[in-house]
Amino acid sequence: MSPLTPPSQDINLKDEMRRALAAYAAGPGSNPHGTTSDLSMDEELNLHSIGWEPVEFVGGFSAFSTPSLTWSWGQGEIGAASYAHEQAFDLALARLHQEAAAAGGHGVVGVQVTRSIHQSHTEVSLMGTAVRPVGAAAVDPQRVFTSDLSARDFTLLMVAGWEPLGLAAGASFVFAPRRSMGTVLSQQSQNVELTNFTEAMYNARETAMERMQSKALAMKGTGVVDVKVFEGPMYFASHAVGFTSWGTVVRLRADEHRHITPTVVVPLDDAVVAFEAATLGEV
Amino acid sequence: MAQEPNDLPQATGHRLEELEKGLFTSDLSVNEFLLVKEAGFHPVGFVMGSSIYHIGIQTRKWGSSQELTKLTEAMYNARELAMTRMEEEAAELGADGVVGVRLNVNYYEWGSDAAEFIAVGTAVKAEDGVSRLNALGKPFTSDLSGQDFWTLNQTGYAPQGLVMGTCVYHIAHRGLMSTLGSTGQNVELPNFTQALYEARELAMTRMQDEANRLGATGIVGVRLEEKSHQWGSHTIEFLALGTAVGKTGADVTLPRPTTIISLDN
Repeated sequence: MSPLTPPSQDINLKDEMRRALAAYAAGPGSNPHGTTSDLSMDEELNLHSIGWEPVEFVGGFSAFSTPSLTWSWGQGEIGAASYAHEQAFDLALARLHQEAAAAGGHGVVGVQVTRSIHQSHTEVSLMGTAVRPVGAAAVDPQRVFTSDLSARDFTLLMVAGWEPLGLAAGASFVFAPRRSMGTVLSQQSQNVELTNFTEAMYNARETAMERMQSKALAMKGTGVVDVKVFEGPMYFASHAVGFTSWGTVVRLRADEHRHITPTVVVPLDDAVVAFEAATLGEV
Repeated sequence: MAQEPNDLPQATGHRLEELEKGLFTSDLSVNEFLLVKEAGFHPVGFVMGSSIYHIGIQTRKWGSSQELTKLTEAMYNARELAMTRMEEEAAELGADGVVGVRLNVNYYEWGSDAAEFIAVGTAVKAEDGVSRLNALGKPFTSDLSGQDFWTLNQTGYAPQGLVMGTCVYHIAHRGLMSTLGSTGQNVELPNFTQALYEARELAMTRMQDEANRLGATGIVGVRLEEKSHQWGSHTIEFLALGTAVGKTGADVTLPRPTTIISLDN
């Protein structure tokens, strides 16, 4: 009999469903038998190499509404939209931390950040794997860290003597000024910089980056790595531009940065995805 | 119609002040971050420059191939403005250079002929305190990733600047007679070939001129991009981009790479 053949006895679907629902109602961390994680095999091994282990796959979600007509007309920053983005991010993070702490995690790594901005609301969904030093006791939700770095990057960072402190995000939406008909006509055939638009873009960008930096400073971080920035027009509001950014806040944990001398390798397989576990030393 | 880049907009000031307090931001991944540290640099901040630019109109002759100098000028000028502003931000942070530079163009609904030119990158500073400014006394710029930056450093070369050349070219339509004449035949279309050749040559030459101005010995990682933007199919921008490099130290013997078969897929 091939191992792929399903078991011959009938599965009681109702019983299976009841079991799944009971596990769901009991909440994460209540299952004493095992862990769930979206880590790959080598990511799990990497974590173990620095004395950490995955505990549970956790998530946090929030949708925050923006009042109607927010996007339609105005000048300067669209405060309500920026506020909704910040709140949605903070609430999703708080929920993620709660779930991770309940599961006994000290941090969440490999967090997938899905964020969508709509006319009526902003959605943020965060999902990742809660991790902890092997066998460590649970901590307060306030002390849980979040990072969108993969488990592999997390390991590298820890080996180099740094630690992630959390996810910092910033957003700003502004109205692009309208040009008067006369200006439009006079600039029709010319090469000119549109300085007021440039200024508006700069405002959005600087405000958003500054908000991210303030969050990082509040966490007592010394750096933000892997910053992702998104900018551009909002498809549903013709005269609004948005700038959002997020990244992982880091701080030097050891006395000084530990240098990791890379080995130059030529991988012999097609996909150039190479990582040598042996390069990771003791922490 | 050279437009002098004006000072950084007001809003920039506060963010950069915060960065000077010791917090750094960077879009480098952890791998890149560690490699930049390994190469003897520390990231100081994520720097950006942008310019929203109105591109003028130039009439094209249906049947002739020619460079559209006005459009070329616009593309040059706008990118130059964005790059210069990014360099200014880096200089303000006391950086020696900018790595991982990306140049992008965005279009907005509110201006069909207006485009936003953006340059972003991570400013880095040498940890040994020795200045690495380029021949023009400005921070070097480079579109190399952290990995490439480290590897380049190992060979005894250092990036001098991101160089580019651009050429907007109108390629002639073929007349009815010549279209009919070549129907059913295998023939080269010399006017098309020649036009594309000339446009590419112009872009490449301009890029090399920029590298010469920096006193570079070579250009690595050259990319040649062809885009029609919003001008229709017969008007094409040829953009050549690369990092000009110069030799810094003595000859280095590179370690032999280890060949590995990785177990992940």
